[in-house]
Amino acid sequence: MLTMAFARAALPKSGALALLVAEEEALSGIAKTLDEASAGGVTRALEAAAFKGQKAKTCLLFSPAAGFTRVVFIGLGKRAEVTASVAEEAGGAIASALSQEATAAVSAEGLRSEDAAHLAFGAALRAYRFDRYRTKEKAEDKPKLAGLTILVDDAPKAKAAYAPLQAVAEGVFLSRDLVSEPPNVLNPTEMAERCKALTKLGVKVEILGPKELDKLGFGALMGVAQGSAQEPRVVIMQWNGAGKGKPRKPLAFVGKGVTFDTGGISIKPAGGMEDMKWDMAGAGAVIGLMAALAGRKAKADVVGLVGLVENMPSGTAQRPGDVVTTYSGQTVEVLNTDAEGRLVLADLLWYAQEKFDPAFMIDLATLTGAIIVALGQEHAGLFSNDDELAQKLSAAGLATGEKAWRMPLGDAYDKAIKSDIADMKNIGGRQGGAVVAAQFIQRFVNNKPWVHLDIAGVAWSSKDTAITPKGATAYGVRLLDRLVRDHYEG
Amino acid sequence: MPQPSLFLLAAAELTAEVPLVLPVAPGGVPPEYAVAAKAAGFTAVPGQVLTLWGVGRTATILVGLDPADPEAAGAQAASSLPRAPRLAIDGRGLPRAMATAIAVGAALRSWRFPTNRFAEDPEAMVIGRIDLVVEDARKEGKHWRRALAVLEGVGFARDLVAEPSNTLTPALFVKRLRPLTDLGLKLDVIPAEDFAAKGLRLIAAVGGGSVNPPCLVVMRWKGKLDLPPLAFVGKGITFDTGGISIKPADRMWDMRGDMAGAAACVGAMVTLARRESPTPAIAVLALAENMIGATSYRPGDILRSHAGRTIEIIDTDAEGRLVLSDALSYAVATYTPRAIVDFATLTHAVSVALGHERAGLYDNDETLAAHLGAAGEVVGERLWRMPIGASHREALNSEVADLRQCNTGRLIPDASQAAALMREFVGDTPWAHIDIGGTEQRDEGDARYSAGPTGFGVRLLDQLVAARYEDPEHP
Repeated sequence: MLTMAFARAALPKSGALALLVAEEEALSGIAKTLDEASAGGVTRALEAAAFKGQKAKTCLLFSPAAGFTRVVFIGLGKRAEVTASVAEEAGGAIASALSQEATAAVSAEGLRSEDAAHLAFGAALRAYRFDRYRTKEKAEDKPKLAGLTILVDDAPKAKAAYAPLQAVAEGVFLSRDLVSEPPNVLNPTEMAERCKALTKLGVKVEILGPKELDKLGFGALMGVAQGSAQEPRVVIMQWNGAGKGKPRKPLAFVGKGVTFDTGGISIKPAGGMEDMKWDMAGAGAVIGLMAALAGRKAKADVVGLVGLVENMPSGTAQRPGDVVTTYSGQTVEVLNTDAEGRLVLADLLWYAQEKFDPAFMIDLATLTGAIIVALGQEHAGLFSNDDELAQKLSAAGLATGEKAWRMPLGDAYDKAIKSDIADMKNIGGRQGGAVVAAQFIQRFVNNKPWVHLDIAGVAWSSKDTAITPKGATAYGVRLLDRLVRDHYEG
Repeated sequence: MPQPSLFLLAAAELTAEVPLVLPVAPGGVPPEYAVAAKAAGFTAVPGQVLTLWGVGRTATILVGLDPADPEAAGAQAASSLPRAPRLAIDGRGLPRAMATAIAVGAALRSWRFPTNRFAEDPEAMVIGRIDLVVEDARKEGKHWRRALAVLEGVGFARDLVAEPSNTLTPALFVKRLRPLTDLGLKLDVIPAEDFAAKGLRLIAAVGGGSVNPPCLVVMRWKGKLDLPPLAFVGKGITFDTGGISIKPADRMWDMRGDMAGAAACVGAMVTLARRESPTPAIAVLALAENMIGATSYRPGDILRSHAGRTIEIIDTDAEGRLVLSDALSYAVATYTPRAIVDFATLTHAVSVALGHERAGLYDNDETLAAHLGAAGEVVGERLWRMPIGASHREALNSEVADLRQCNTGRLIPDASQAAALMREFVGDTPWAHIDIGGTEQRDEGDARYSAGPTGFGVRLLDQLVAARYEDPEHP
């Protein structure tokens, strides 16, 4: 995590510097002082580069004035249109452009303190790197950026605004770390162990193993787990931040955590199977979210549940045709062992609503390929039985850039999972695959207000984006943190 | 006759040879059938059917009626008795609109593939006539007239989609449209030899591999309002082999239906003309056969669109978006329509996304999208709004042309990307694209449709026009 300092705006004497320029505005403040120190060299350079402060444009100058190493100009677009997201993206661009500097100063003059904090947040998010397993990287190839000093009009205010965002960034990084870990390292037991770290933040962490799960009757989850040498785990994390007073129903977040998904007996094709290490990204998001909420001491009661299993083909694996009895008592004919995520969620959701009587349940899962064909990698699929909750989530998605697109539910889709011998089967046809999966899950929410986020298209990015380096995105942490912040605190 | 004709009938004219459908609201079983209903466990749950043979007439069919969905009752009754040449529905005591809807449901469910058999199978007799028994059979009323117009339009569209491709080439398609001029529809045909002069190079390329030349058809309905027309644009690939990027053989026969978008537009024009809608409307049909030949276009080709922008061809089986791009651009440039709605069996992706239950709705205009969505709920042709995101447009950046036609590979949001491509050709005109790739045909009959084409889109457009574009005060 980048170290952030906030200081009053003044031109530093040396080092690396980032300067923000709004579209069609003349250089002012620190930028103007620097221009004068360079005898107009900065103005000439920006003109030569046709840089006018356009949004998402950057211009990097090497040593434009004595003492300075790199100076990067970041376009903000029109000043009136600067939002927290624009500030975050500018921060991301700074972290990217100055990655070879150890430290740098960033002028956020003219930005609202809140936006300055979001600029720092964006820089921190973009500077993340998962490099635990690189042992021979040359020093000159490693990013060096370790800290930024944000130069602002009101440093104490910006610093205060950044504190909760830093906690959210910690949650994002925890989630990205988990999703990035290889599946031989991050098996269900290890993943559950890592949840224990949340106790330091005041989260109550309870871990259930196979004995407890068997006893409880998590037949669907245990069926998925039975083919692997790795034991399953269910982790229940509780954060009680609402404080004393009238007791309120907690918010429940539920994550699919298949630490590796071979498909089981219905084995997947070999090509691209390595991606299945991130089939636990839903659980990763829930764990990251709990860290974020506890880290910033959110004033809400929240419970996070994750179901951690490995889906393997073996002599003990469940077969297509098996019938399992879920925790709810409903039976499922397992026709495809690769439609395992919904089985894990089925037990977790019924348990969550029964045990915690939550105000709502939101589940996250890398559930279907169909959702990627439907929406691509820009939006998660949002399925809900509650229009108001769906609307709140969509709005939080637009505000954070973790976008979600509402998808339909309905009886006509539900027919696809009628089974000849059990209460339901775990697959329909390929048509409407993500919707049918959501219908399956809906049978386990017991009419509680509920949202299912199918994040198969958004959990992993194949290229760098403004505030997310290539790889695990931690989709859901910022989205759900925002949802809680906007509607369920205080 | 693939679809039965509908008549109003006075009770006095009802004969005992004709099976009679008796719609029954929940809990409303008539006393004379109470014993039979109890014995059979018939409680008039919506969709439930009880057939009583030879009680006073050849057959009496009790059907559970959901007042919120009367068409379903008609459809259920009709599908339970597929071998009657005639069927009557007792609409007495019901509001005329509801009674009419029951009859419409029965007629739509009774559509059958036009047969081309050497010898007709007498067992396969289909319902040729449906009578709606009402108190005053001489009074037609506006619901009835509209229902007949809708049925004619839907039936016309379904017949077109069902027609095999050897008997429905682009030229034969046009021939089928000629008689429609009797309804007051104007027909303009731009033949392939004029494509170069008109700049319709994308349609020319797609149809270039076939000996059956492509054409662009414009149907016009003048209406009464002095306003620019609404435009409907339809994909009319009379057969789609995929071209050089050839499709797998399995289920290729379904590709005779790859002109269902054009058929829906034609059906809607038939309905609007038949019920003399005051609203000016045009239908632009891009008709072509996508074949493999020595003159086929190739992956890698760069084509110049009607609008002037160039497109890098990636997959000759993504031909629908090409012919539509030219047709949309032509419609906008030539007719400056108030709004434009296109229909196409465009992608497999949309059926992966939404299945058979809903068509995908892509648009550049929230109001038009909302109106279409509402119209679809009214007539049971349901839509779901889908995104055209920045990432979908970005995926169409080409190294060598203005636009890249499409992308290949696994798990591509092809429907959204196709919509993003077509959006480039409508300018500021309010536009909606309806991908009927999952809704235009049924493999098996269901509660609403018989097996085969559904005519999806005809009723949707008719309802859109009726609800939003016919009020002279607020056109």
